[in-house]
Amino acid sequence: MRKCMERLFNGLFKENPTFVLMLGMCPTLAVTTSAINGIGMGLATTVVLVLSNIMISVLRKVIPDGVRIPAFIVVIASFVTIVELLLKAYIPSLYAALGLYIPLIVVNCIILGRAESYASKNKVIYSAFDGLGMGLGFTFGLTCIGIIREIVGAGTLFNMAVMPAAYEPLTIFILAPGAFLVLAFLVAIMNKIKIAGGKDTGVGGNCDELCRNCPNTNCGGRTLAGKDAD
Amino acid sequence: MNSTFKNVLCLTVITIVAGLGLGYVYDITAEPIRRMEEETKLEAYKSVFPDASGFVDTESVAEQSDGPVSVYSSNGCDIESAVVANDSAGNKLGYVINVTTHEGYGGDITLSVGIDSEGVVKGMEILDISETAGLGMKAGESKFKDQFKDKAVSSFTYTKTGAVQDFEIDAISGATITTKAVTNAVNTAITYFGVLGGGN
Amino acid sequence: MIGKLILIAVGSAFINNVVLSQFLGICPFLGVSKKINTAAGMGSAVVFVITLASFVAGVIYKYLLVPFDITYLKTIVFILVIAALVQFVEMFLKKKMKGLYQALGVYLPLITTNCAVLGVALTNVTKDYTILEGVVNGFATSVGFLISIVIMAGLREKMEYNNVPKAFRGMPIVLLTACLMAIAFFGFSGLK
Repeated sequence: MRKCMERLFNGLFKENPTFVLMLGMCPTLAVTTSAINGIGMGLATTVVLVLSNIMISVLRKVIPDGVRIPAFIVVIASFVTIVELLLKAYIPSLYAALGLYIPLIVVNCIILGRAESYASKNKVIYSAFDGLGMGLGFTFGLTCIGIIREIVGAGTLFNMAVMPAAYEPLTIFILAPGAFLVLAFLVAIMNKIKIAGGKDTGVGGNCDELCRNCPNTNCGGRTLAGKDAD
Repeated sequence: MNSTFKNVLCLTVITIVAGLGLGYVYDITAEPIRRMEEETKLEAYKSVFPDASGFVDTESVAEQSDGPVSVYSSNGCDIESAVVANDSAGNKLGYVINVTTHEGYGGDITLSVGIDSEGVVKGMEILDISETAGLGMKAGESKFKDQFKDKAVSSFTYTKTGAVQDFEIDAISGATITTKAVTNAVNTAITYFGVLGGGN
Repeated sequence: MIGKLILIAVGSAFINNVVLSQFLGICPFLGVSKKINTAAGMGSAVVFVITLASFVAGVIYKYLLVPFDITYLKTIVFILVIAALVQFVEMFLKKKMKGLYQALGVYLPLITTNCAVLGVALTNVTKDYTILEGVVNGFATSVGFLISIVIMAGLREKMEYNNVPKAFRGMPIVLLTACLMAIAFFGFSGLK
């Protein structure tokens, strides 16, 4: 049980996929135009992450090493399609808002990364909690960004007006540049806290380090980080 | 050789199982998805034609009268379908016309327009849109779409300097392309309403 | 016909730039943009794979998924096709075209998980593009990727010598640069 909690905590804080590992950047930037979209995307990813972690952990002794990656991709893609169909059937408004980014959960580095680095080596129960922790950490990150962008960019939170009527929304925060801007400042704040705490490890700030540590062996940054630094 | 065979076999089995599983889920969700789409459509119809209580497809109407149901296209818009709006007694109040415009900024926009027998636009509702969040997406907000409500005009035009007259629509700031596309689509619906023979 | 193709091409390469406005392929955009030559190598490999993948995915969708009415399997089919395609391209280049393999080889396996590839294949289908339109869209989208990653690498090479505040070193300053590039690319929306 303690190990389960440790896994949860790990995903939420210690290795938060958004702020610490900086994985799954595409949906992080694309769908966080509002808080509700951030939560929706985060939860959809969490469901896929937990299910695929469980399934891959169950099959970890069956799948031969040589076809590991394709097999993982098939498992993940099936769960993504299931989530897509369920959303379409029961929460069509969210389905419409997230659009293309739902099928793209398949190529979210976090999911393949966890399958490869954790679920394929560990017991089912721990893998499930690992997926849950990572998923909730991702949801947390997306919701934070979504809340900031929605309040500043539209003056609303969860579609309710929260800013005074005189406030003129800075629409650019909802547009593409705003995504980069908010994430840049959030990571910088994380760095500042780390520096003040005396742990200047450059986490979240140094791609060479980060990308080498990326759990996803297929991740573009990882293999090239070393090469790039030369 | 043996290991290659095992690899291929394993991957094939996983893929087949996944495919069958997906087929099963698809079968289960097909009905709710269809029902949900219908409900969404009906809700949109009700909101563009609040007085009406029943909606009948024009195919069946075409059999009764000789109303044209052929697809009618103009300035980048396609008429998808038109349904007759009836009151609770079954009397015809007007039409709800579904239009798709291809001139949106982020792709196609589909919308419903309700027009009563007098040619008054009862309302406009977006069915499908993928415009830029924060700009073109505002076309779905009531501040924009209510401008079309309860107006009897032959065509709308958009303006950036503040609407004064009935046929003028305030453009969404930063989203002129979306405004133009939506306004043209509503105009196409009004034209098609004339083709349908107006209120008769 | 040609007019529509040009419209699709300009739209995908500049106006709806794949990285800066659709947020696809962010991982390599941030991860592989430290040096201009690696960025250009990655970009060219992406152009190659996306163009090919749009064609193959388009053909499979039209002649296999639609006739059998199994379009809901498109995600799983496309990702497998892309993975297999990348493998074949790698093997082919290794055997037949040594020069090109040396230039693009290292980048190829990384492209499978580049969401821009799957993204383009799915966009082609949702927008009802014909196979030719899909290939043009794929090519233009990936050229947009190439342009933005090379610009980013050029800026980062210059930024090496800048005195960036400590908290902003590394990723934050790169994200801020991307933000400014995205604003600049907004200028292209006037083309539409």
